[in-house]
Amino acid sequence: MNPLLKPFPSSITAPPDADCPQCRAAQYKGGAPVIEVADAKVSFNGVPVLRGVNLTIPKGEIVAVIGPNGCGKTTLLRSLLGLQRLDAGTIKLFGETDIHSVLHRVGYVPQKLALDRSFALSVREFLALRLPSTRHWFWKGPRSTDTVLAPIVAELAIEKLLPKPLAQLSGGQLQRVLIAFSLLHQPQLLLLDEPTAGVDTPGEQGFYELIGKIHKQHGLTVVLVSHDLSMVYKHATWVYALNGVVCCEGTPEEVMNAESLKQAYGIHVSPYHHHHHVH
Amino acid sequence: MFTESFMVRALAAALMLAPLSALLGVFVTARRMAFFSDTIAHGALAGIALGMWLGMTDMTLPMVLFSLAIAAIILWLKEKTNLLTDTIMALLLSGSVAFGIVILSLQQGSRGEIHAYLFGDILAVDTQDIWLAAALLIIVAFALFRFLSPMALITANEEMAHVCGIRVRRFNYLFVLVLTLTVAVTIRLLGIILVTSLLVIPAATGRNLSRNLRQQIISSILVGLLGGFSGVLISYRLDVPCGPAIVLACIALFILSLAVDRFFLNRKQEVTA
Repeated sequence: MNPLLKPFPSSITAPPDADCPQCRAAQYKGGAPVIEVADAKVSFNGVPVLRGVNLTIPKGEIVAVIGPNGCGKTTLLRSLLGLQRLDAGTIKLFGETDIHSVLHRVGYVPQKLALDRSFALSVREFLALRLPSTRHWFWKGPRSTDTVLAPIVAELAIEKLLPKPLAQLSGGQLQRVLIAFSLLHQPQLLLLDEPTAGVDTPGEQGFYELIGKIHKQHGLTVVLVSHDLSMVYKHATWVYALNGVVCCEGTPEEVMNAESLKQAYGIHVSPYHHHHHVH
Repeated sequence: MFTESFMVRALAAALMLAPLSALLGVFVTARRMAFFSDTIAHGALAGIALGMWLGMTDMTLPMVLFSLAIAAIILWLKEKTNLLTDTIMALLLSGSVAFGIVILSLQQGSRGEIHAYLFGDILAVDTQDIWLAAALLIIVAFALFRFLSPMALITANEEMAHVCGIRVRRFNYLFVLVLTLTVAVTIRLLGIILVTSLLVIPAATGRNLSRNLRQQIISSILVGLLGGFSGVLISYRLDVPCGPAIVLACIALFILSLAVDRFFLNRKQEVTA
């Protein structure tokens, strides 16, 4: 018998087909959950914002939570961080309902900082605020701080930004610094709020490539909360469309069809395809 | 001039309260709380008026208590209502001034004393104020440097600070308490109308002279010290109220810092770039 034609042993099952939606869904649902949201309800002044959100995010995925403004994205994110109390339902992070006890395993990248130019906090000082080993930055010279920060600073290529005041960075530079900050304590879950809101269009592509690289290198679970439809198509492995409740979920290809988007956004929209021009 | 005990007291108060205000001012300006400190300062006027009406001789207690009450009401209204922060402040600032003036107008012969509280008076600084200022300086400076990292992170982004395990709400309340006490004690020296300037001007001057927070904190404290010292000196030499003299000295340093920033620091930046 030709050795190249050896049959598969019967105990080995065929690997899941990445293009098959059912296989992908089974693979997604079978992962160990990092975030579990069950029937989460929040209302403000009697107006319901979250009307019973259910979602489970397994380990190692890049998940996008999309929806129009006012659909409850920010409320859901704040609830995940323990900043917003639920009226009903439960949220578990890493299997724990006491969110504060597991926040050390979470990295959070906000949309922006509320800093103005009157605060001279430099990038180096900002990064030093994250770790106990660099918290005495005021009394020590920059050299001791830089030694601790060096690996993450090199990974995010922000060496030249270290002496700059944080309030003077461009949108793209600030996002890199915020990601570096959120990775310093080696989290397992990274939550990003509208990550490309202040980034110009050419910078967006590089930003998502960076997220993909970090996701692989650090073995992170990444959750992107955004109203930006174009981002979802290329970069997320799973998508939840939110509009008070989870309207639909699935692979980007499944969710980004007109009917799903109509459910989420309440209007007829077409998925936006970003075309790259070769110069 | 330093043989006269009231001058020594005034100078001691200025050299303790000016750097303390400058240090707090770095965070007050960054957190856009200048209007907040102005409101609690004006709240002190109502406290003073009430103290006079009740026949009290020392106004420190009613002043501090009323300022704390105003600060607590601001925080409560911010949390419990949908009112804009500016609206809350304007409401309480004008309300407490109006209340104070009505109470004062019902009394006779309090105009001179109120003038001292409005614009500051070297003679109004007594030994008790010096001890109070010294205690405040030691406690606040120690606490701020001890918790500099959490304070800086809360100033940058409260949600990130929360994720880092910092008890943001507790720090915010403590900061308001410390700010209120500092403002109330500094009123003796600078007066209600000008007390906020000692929080804002040295911090803004320090910002012009610095490229990072460490430099800003150090330069703000030095500007506070220099402004306080020169102001008391000017006040004594020209026989003018102490508060305005300190403020004008700080403004002169601010203008000087603008020139330094424009002609030296920017040029240096261009060379390194």
